[in-house]
Amino acid sequence: MRKQRGLSIFAGAVFAFLFIPLIIITITAFGENPTIQFPITGFTFQWFTAVFENQSFMDSFLLSLEVSLLATLLALIIGIPAAYALTRQGVKGKSWIKSFFLSPTIIPGVVVGYSLFQFIVIRLQIPLFTGLLLGHFLISLPYIIRVVGSSLEQLDFSIEEVAWTLGSTKFKAFISIVLPNISSSIFASFMLAFINSFNNIPVSQFLSGPGISTLPTTLMNYIEYNYNPVVSALSVLLMLGTIILMFLIEKTLGLAKVV
Amino acid sequence: MSKKIPYLILAPGLILLVFFLLIPLVSVIWPTFYNGTLSFDSYISFFKDTYNFGIFIRTIRVSIIVTVMCIILGVPTAYFIAGTSAKWRGLLMALTLFPMLTNSVIRSFAWINLLGQNGVVNKLLASIGIISKPLTLLYTEFSIIIGSIYLFLPILIITLVGVMENINPEIMEAAETLGASRIKAFIKVVLPLSIPGIIVGSILVFTGTLTAYTTPQLLGGNRNMMLSTFLYQNAMTLGNWEDASVIALIMIVTTLIVMKGFNLIANRIDKRGEQDA
Amino acid sequence: MSFVDLKNIRVSYDGKNNILKELNLSMEKGELISLLGPSGCGKTTTLRVIAGLIEPNDGTFTVGDSNLTKVPVHKRNFGMVFQSYALFPHLTVRENVGFGLKLRKEKKEVIEKKVQAILEATDLSHYAERYPKQLSGGQRQRVALARALVIEPQLLLLDEPLSNLDAKLRISMRIEIKRIQRKLGITTVFVTHDQEECFSISDKVAVMNNGVIEQYDSPEEIYKNPKTEFVARFIGFENFFALTKQDTHTYTTSDGTLIETVHSAGRQQTTGTIRPDDILLSAHDQEIPSNSLAGTIRVRTFLGKSYQYEVETSIGKLLVNDVQVPGYQVGDKVFVVIPKEKLILV
Repeated sequence: MRKQRGLSIFAGAVFAFLFIPLIIITITAFGENPTIQFPITGFTFQWFTAVFENQSFMDSFLLSLEVSLLATLLALIIGIPAAYALTRQGVKGKSWIKSFFLSPTIIPGVVVGYSLFQFIVIRLQIPLFTGLLLGHFLISLPYIIRVVGSSLEQLDFSIEEVAWTLGSTKFKAFISIVLPNISSSIFASFMLAFINSFNNIPVSQFLSGPGISTLPTTLMNYIEYNYNPVVSALSVLLMLGTIILMFLIEKTLGLAKVV
Repeated sequence: MSKKIPYLILAPGLILLVFFLLIPLVSVIWPTFYNGTLSFDSYISFFKDTYNFGIFIRTIRVSIIVTVMCIILGVPTAYFIAGTSAKWRGLLMALTLFPMLTNSVIRSFAWINLLGQNGVVNKLLASIGIISKPLTLLYTEFSIIIGSIYLFLPILIITLVGVMENINPEIMEAAETLGASRIKAFIKVVLPLSIPGIIVGSILVFTGTLTAYTTPQLLGGNRNMMLSTFLYQNAMTLGNWEDASVIALIMIVTTLIVMKGFNLIANRIDKRGEQDA
Repeated sequence: MSFVDLKNIRVSYDGKNNILKELNLSMEKGELISLLGPSGCGKTTTLRVIAGLIEPNDGTFTVGDSNLTKVPVHKRNFGMVFQSYALFPHLTVRENVGFGLKLRKEKKEVIEKKVQAILEATDLSHYAERYPKQLSGGQRQRVALARALVIEPQLLLLDEPLSNLDAKLRISMRIEIKRIQRKLGITTVFVTHDQEECFSISDKVAVMNNGVIEQYDSPEEIYKNPKTEFVARFIGFENFFALTKQDTHTYTTSDGTLIETVHSAGRQQTTGTIRPDDILLSAHDQEIPSNSLAGTIRVRTFLGKSYQYEVETSIGKLLVNDVQVPGYQVGDKVFVVIPKEKLILV
């Protein structure tokens, strides 16, 4: 490639725009002043300690993990076989069903959250936690259908047919032949759905109440009344978590395949 | 019997979707049309109210500005990334992906730090003597716009890099041998060929901004409501469920219209070679 | 000074390994020359230096009186046909061909006239409103050619333009290219790895290897007198054996057989080579004092118009093509004769 100075400078500026705000957060997590200041004075780890000592952060973190893991697992259990069925011939209304499975991405998150809250929590009196779980399941399912579905479409179905001719039942062939060949896309879809669920605000915001509040919801409510470096410290910890997940994805199947 | 198996496999997902997505949606939206008799009154009176209408217009306006800005910033950046070596491209894509996977609360919070009365931007401007009093940047439409660009720029870049990578580099070189400077070749060749990517990316940015909740909530304040924050306020603070439901349907319909509209534009522009030789 | 001159061109991407080293090449006006070599030899790099798509680390490139080394690609006015054709998928055939003229800000009527003329010349007028996707390989190839020619370029650069076509089309297209090139008298550089294609079309051929031009001559000269072992191998010489010089035209093989030649080498130790077609086989000793070796047939392969034999001799295996019928059987004792006018020293 020949040099393109103007373009490099432009791209550099865009990356600066993307990263300077996050870098500033990171720096403010270490300042000694009890309200956020930039540039910082002094240097301390006390805000990180404060994060771990804050019971509501810890509780909501555990709840977030629980909800996201359960919802994503449920989405996997229901989504993988569905994605498989949708790639087979002879399913009538295939494209309609597929759009229906993907529809939670088209419906705005606040609307999903609002309608679940109104119908399930208010009208049916189903416990809030179940509602939250269902909401997160709904937003996770499309990731599984899309990512696993596209890898199933690229899979050569004759390897499955070979297994049948060798005497394998259809179920056994699915388990022993199909699943291992789509394992990396299963992992990718799981990671994407998990990250998305963990970060979700609009759905969680409606389905929260006493004792039921995900970490982002807790953090958001905290920010509305507090402006202190504890927020920065928690942000840094969450960003570290993101980096670790990205590293895991990169090591197992490469980030390029996920996006 | 085996013909039924696919449907059996699909059934659990379908049932869950019907019960926990479709039925709740219908049950929420149906009353806005039917109140003893079928009518559109709720919608007419919603739009007649200038305050409500203002929020609707603001939401559309912000979404348009954010989409345009993301295209202006994202297209050259994506072109730059697509032109780098595989190693660099991987690194730059990871760097672009990182903010996308970072919680939107954190990403909005970052701009509170920057735009507040005592924030980095005001301090910087004051220190070089451009302003004497701090500017009101936070809790404005401007801060929602900046925050939303910040939120959705990465997704546009990533979508576009995927399309631009697949443009044969020889096509660009061919344009140059025919007398086009780099910029001209970019405008006349790369840009038209990137239209599908720009459309897909724009749909994501536009509908994303249209429905985003966190950013307008944290950066907009009460005087700069968007549809999503207005829906939440109606439902959870004011207890006005009828208006909340009306807003819900308006958001769904607007999203669908925007998607349909962009796809129509895409088909109009992307007329090349429908049938193969 | 020649019309086109490349002087001491060096290209290196990483600063250490040279893709091209000290490359010199000159062409006369109206010539069609080929750059021939295996992939990775630097032929495409050379073409891209000429086009201006790569700026050389050292050296100069001139056309006529002007030094173009630093002139950017879009100001050179060279037509280039790419291996992938690189047609603009979003433009019709007519728009593709008119692209360069539009950039030159020519009048609309002029553009239309020129485009129409070249479309007719390349037999494309029926497809003018189609998009590249709707064309066959051969049609795409002609669009690429028309697009490059319509700007009336000073040089025409062809980067393996025929490699994506099937064998039959390839032959008719290369005749077509030659015809147009002659008619317009346009100086042309043709890159290929196909020896036959290259010989049939070129006035001169530069055989390249490892970033160096090994030989630059007319096709006939290269065919008859390859100067290096690489060139000889590349154009179909199969048999190579060591020779020791006795006199100007007299050599001995490793086993002492006397070999006479019409050529001569400067060095004491040299390598002799001959095509399988040029070796003669005989069942009986010709009783000539030199250029004859005894051998045994080891492998026999039917090639259609001839048989190919692998003959084991005291100087190693030799490949021989022979048309005699019924021919020899495996295990037969034969005598191999190397005609002195066909033996090349490299």
